Amino acid sequence: MDSEPIHPIRNVKSLRPQQVWKWEIAIYLYLAGMGAGSFIIGVMMNWFGFSFNPSKTIVLWGYPLGVSKAVLLWGPILVAIGAPFLILDLGKKGRFLYACLNPRTSWVARGFLILSAFIIIGLFILVISILPFQSLSEGTTARLVLEIIGLLLALATAIYTGILLKSVKYVSLWNTPFLPLLFLVSALSTGSMGIILSTLGYGLFAPYGPSFSQMINTLVGTEQILILIEGLVLGLYLLFRYRAREQGESSILLLVMGEMRILFWGGIIAIGFIFPVLLEYLYSNFPDYPILLFATGLFLLVGGFFLRFGILTAGIKDQLPMHKLIEIEYNLRSSKKLFL
Amino acid sequence: MQGKVLVVDHEKCTGCRQCEMVCSVFHTGASNPSRSRINVIKWENVGFYLPMTCQHCEDAACMSVCPKNAISREENDRVTVNYDLCIGCKMCVAACPFGAMGIDTKDRKVIKCDYCDGDPQCATFCDTNAVDYVDADKANLKRKREAALKFSELMRRYVGGF
Repeated sequence: MDSEPIHPIRNVKSLRPQQVWKWEIAIYLYLAGMGAGSFIIGVMMNWFGFSFNPSKTIVLWGYPLGVSKAVLLWGPILVAIGAPFLILDLGKKGRFLYACLNPRTSWVARGFLILSAFIIIGLFILVISILPFQSLSEGTTARLVLEIIGLLLALATAIYTGILLKSVKYVSLWNTPFLPLLFLVSALSTGSMGIILSTLGYGLFAPYGPSFSQMINTLVGTEQILILIEGLVLGLYLLFRYRAREQGESSILLLVMGEMRILFWGGIIAIGFIFPVLLEYLYSNFPDYPILLFATGLFLLVGGFFLRFGILTAGIKDQLPMHKLIEIEYNLRSSKKLFL
Repeated sequence: MQGKVLVVDHEKCTGCRQCEMVCSVFHTGASNPSRSRINVIKWENVGFYLPMTCQHCEDAACMSVCPKNAISREENDRVTVNYDLCIGCKMCVAACPFGAMGIDTKDRKVIKCDYCDGDPQCATFCDTNAVDYVDADKANLKRKREAALKFSELMRRYVGGF
């Protein structure tokens, strides 16, 4: 009896997951997404009037510094930490400034410009919210315009992390509009969790205002909705990529059932979704234990990183028509063997 | 298209990987297939070998994703990397559908076929002429003739009367 035909293209270079982008890019995708997401949530919270009352000020060299706004607007710092990881990945690190010179066709160049603009404007907003600037204080039109520009750039940064991968057309797993959407929702969910953690951390050493618990409740409610939306988008993303029938299917199988199943089920599903949902449910029943919320945050943030890492490292390039032809010929030959 | 192109005939390839050796020796001075610009993809259990190298595509994916315009098309339709401009972002490696862009980990740069400046070593050293450097028009004719032959053979086998 003939043994089962061996898959002709298994273990061939072109069907292995890509090796070009590794952990540096995953860290960058994660930090940029989370920073941009937290900035979006922070500015929104600020607009809807959630603030720490009384606001805490630190006097440094005779200047009063209002640190309470910084609790909501620290996002650009994370993006600024994440961007150097891109430079770390370059072959010629000294030439990183060249990366912005072809924005006509290249998404790397466009991203360079978007990220730089966001880091500059975001850090500027953060600085003027701490320093007592009269002309750009809360409520002035100039400040509002600046915040809207910052918000749009943060949105662009969060979506861009997905578009960078989507621009690699020949990897089916990435070439879908669901990927920027998934990264945007994940950015918002990890970002809002970051805001929750920084708010809780602020509450540890500053006086609780009357709106503090209301603020936490709103944030946790938003967070729960965002986790649900993220789970839904992830499910749809995996389903549509599986049905793409190209190497999208191979990538999904590699993630869900193949070598990366531990990362997928343990890192993305359990740590990123199940634990946070359970812990948040526990917290809503026992609101006197903020440690539950800290644990939720830790799990969710680690899960957010695994999501990026998993999607990045499971990308498999599409087969060329030549490869497909060989596979079909081989399968025909082996099926003939079976029947004759 | 003008000028000459590399043409690969998978039915002649024996999988000896001599092309990889001479390519790396020509470009790096070392006999190291991982630094070669041409790669032989092997399906050992079907006995099929396919040398893959840069196709110098008309709408080249590597050119459009390069953030610095370091990859450009020359007058004779050859697509080359300008190493004075390349920042090593590896976007072209990810974008190439043929896997023809490689990374030289020793020199820390991306590598691709440049026709050895007009005298491709792989074609010179290939014993079976599986890799050949021919006029672009001629290559096209050869493909057309092959397709016509295959078609007539199929017709003879399944329809008969030819």
